[in-house]
Amino acid sequence: MYAPLLANRYLTSRIIPLIAVGAVALCVALVIIVVSVMSGFLDMVRNSGKTLIGDVVVSYPISGIPYYDELIKEIEALPETEAASPIVETLGLLRMPYGTMETTQVPGEPGRSEQSIRGRVEFVHVWGIEPESLERVAGFYDKLYWRKPSDEVAKGLAPDDPRLEAYYQRDEQGKTLRSSRGRDGIVLGIEISPYNKRTRDGSYRTRGPSGAQDPDYFMPDMPTTLTLVPISSNAKLGEDQSRELDIVNEIQSGVFTIDSQRVLVPIKVTQEMLKLDEAPFADPSKRDANGRPMIVGTTPARATTIVVRAKDGVRSEDLLAGVERAYASFSARMRADPTRTLLPPPIDRTNIETWEQRLADLIGPVQKERELMRTLFSIVYVVCAALVLAIFWAIVQEKTRDIGILRAVGASRVGILWIFLRYGLLIGVVGSLVGVLLAWVIVVRLNDIHELIGMPASTPVKVTAWVAAAVALGMLIRGLRRASALQTVCWTFGFGALSVIAFSLLNYQGYMVWDPAVYYFTRIPSAVDWDTVRTTVAGGILFSVIGAAIPAARAADTDPVQSLRYE
Amino acid sequence: MKPLLDAHGVKKTYRLGQTSVPVLHDASLSVARGEWVAIVGSSGSGKSTLLHLLGGLDRADKDSGPISYDGEDLRGFSPARENLYRNRDVGFVFQFYHLLPELTVLENAMLPSLVGLSRLAWLTGRRAELRDRAAELLGTCGLGHRLKHRPAELSGGERQRVAIARALINKPKVLLADEPTGNLDVRTGGGILDLLAERQAEGLTMVMVTHDQSVAARAHRQVKIVDGRVA
Repeated sequence: MYAPLLANRYLTSRIIPLIAVGAVALCVALVIIVVSVMSGFLDMVRNSGKTLIGDVVVSYPISGIPYYDELIKEIEALPETEAASPIVETLGLLRMPYGTMETTQVPGEPGRSEQSIRGRVEFVHVWGIEPESLERVAGFYDKLYWRKPSDEVAKGLAPDDPRLEAYYQRDEQGKTLRSSRGRDGIVLGIEISPYNKRTRDGSYRTRGPSGAQDPDYFMPDMPTTLTLVPISSNAKLGEDQSRELDIVNEIQSGVFTIDSQRVLVPIKVTQEMLKLDEAPFADPSKRDANGRPMIVGTTPARATTIVVRAKDGVRSEDLLAGVERAYASFSARMRADPTRTLLPPPIDRTNIETWEQRLADLIGPVQKERELMRTLFSIVYVVCAALVLAIFWAIVQEKTRDIGILRAVGASRVGILWIFLRYGLLIGVVGSLVGVLLAWVIVVRLNDIHELIGMPASTPVKVTAWVAAAVALGMLIRGLRRASALQTVCWTFGFGALSVIAFSLLNYQGYMVWDPAVYYFTRIPSAVDWDTVRTTVAGGILFSVIGAAIPAARAADTDPVQSLRYE
Repeated sequence: MKPLLDAHGVKKTYRLGQTSVPVLHDASLSVARGEWVAIVGSSGSGKSTLLHLLGGLDRADKDSGPISYDGEDLRGFSPARENLYRNRDVGFVFQFYHLLPELTVLENAMLPSLVGLSRLAWLTGRRAELRDRAAELLGTCGLGHRLKHRPAELSGGERQRVAIARALINKPKVLLADEPTGNLDVRTGGGILDLLAERQAEGLTMVMVTHDQSVAARAHRQVKIVDGRVA
């Protein structure tokens, strides 16, 4: 029972094991931080994807699915379905309500110039929606940003948060897509307007070009012009269609590509502009009394996409099978009915996918990247084992005489082996726990750390860096005067590092590591992945013991007489 | 009377790379129960090697004669019996004390008893009993006030007293001492010898290696080793 006493005493009375603990802690923290961020990123991609498109998506782009309301009825009759909603998806151009003032020289009239406003045009991804049914499928109302906060939420908001003022609370307009003037409205992704500035806590302030908070740049209530180009089923571009719409609200999904590109308008507007609405249908081979092509019926309105939400507890795969059955039955019914002027696309040409299949292009690479990172960073375990091995080799060398003494008083080889294995185990356990703590602190505070790196260095920070460099220089001079090689070497490195930091901070303007334009999300995932913590801690402990095993075996094999002579 | 320790025709050769260095040739020694034997000889004569062989710290050559303890041949010991022999039957005292620097005086003295302590005995509270015994033993060695000190805080004489307490903690029948006063001044060395002599007088068998004639003179019998043979 001497092994625990010695292992604990070796751990607490020397510096070398602390270095080993530090090395294990850093290895463990590194793996946890990287994999947690990657896992968080993957979860965010999955969750955000799901909340925006429901569980199953039926789509037939460009020409759309006719009689979609009947298809929706059929889908909603399924026991697996909670709700379904039609969408018309397309791309468009949006002329923003503000612009830049331009001064141009009037041709042929020297000295005379004209001023004009050039509106800024954004390329947008347009969704024509039915707000009520989309709310049932994808929780659309929750994504509206300018809403009256609940009392609970209001307590957590900053005192200057505009949403606390009635002027900014645009719930009704957002939910109905109707402006206060009674016109058709448009909801913009919150990142589309460059005057919406995100703060550190993730809320937005409307700031004018000067940077000051300015309600004049608050988008809701302003008119804007949306331009769409209809495309026929044989891929011919039609004449572009423009329509003035009032901005009624903005949405924040947390997904940068959506927040910076998506606009929502009433489905009727997109159907009319893309010529997917209900319209009279004329047969050119027949003429009416006036000799004009005879109207023989109406073409139905169409939707390019139908999003479906599963009932709680229903897997999206089960819902998919149901929706496929419903579409097949709907399609057969339409084809059997001679009065139908348009037929829905056959099932094999229609995309019916679960949200995971729909987002496979996005989820797949992230999943692979995470696994790649996990694999690459697993090398860290080997580094951890190598570090522990090197440190233990040195410890065993240093403890050779102790091993001889222990053997002389009757300790067995297994006993000696166990001391060092136990020592390795202790270093693995302590190092891993310190690593988890370090990783937890960093991951939880990742966005704050990122903000800090992203800000220009403040004067107190610069002054502190310079003071630290000056102190290091003083210590270096002291080391030189005392002719202490250790002090001189340590403080040379210290002074070198601190002066580089101090100089770098002089012109440091902040560095944005996490660019939301690249990573889809406006915030870095900051939740610790506890599955990774469990496997990493197990790996850290295991590899520490493996690293300790070879020096421990060497210690056990040490000849007692030789070790007693060792000095 | 049957000797407690009996070595007969012992051979030991060390290998230094390609070279074989014979250290002991047919060395023989018998030590009776309760006897104090001093092994003397010049440096490199093989005194310490013989002591290590007697204590089971080293193994004699394959063609060597037997070394027996209380009639048992050490060559037939299993590794476990060998460990038990070093732990219970003999105690070692070295010239350079060989204390563990991370342990306190009390823990160093307790070390052999901790090595021999089973997990069950630990759990049933034998540790406290051992601690009391070590403290008492250290008290009789004049170190009652130094129990919580580290070896680095002690003088050479004090360190050797701790080493003696450690060697005696498991009440061995034989004490093997390798130049126990070799690193101490005459006065301190004398004190250590007095301590050992007291223990020996209580019935302890003692084999002491020394090249100091005045130290050897205190033993019952002196054995001289010259070129690996008992002269």
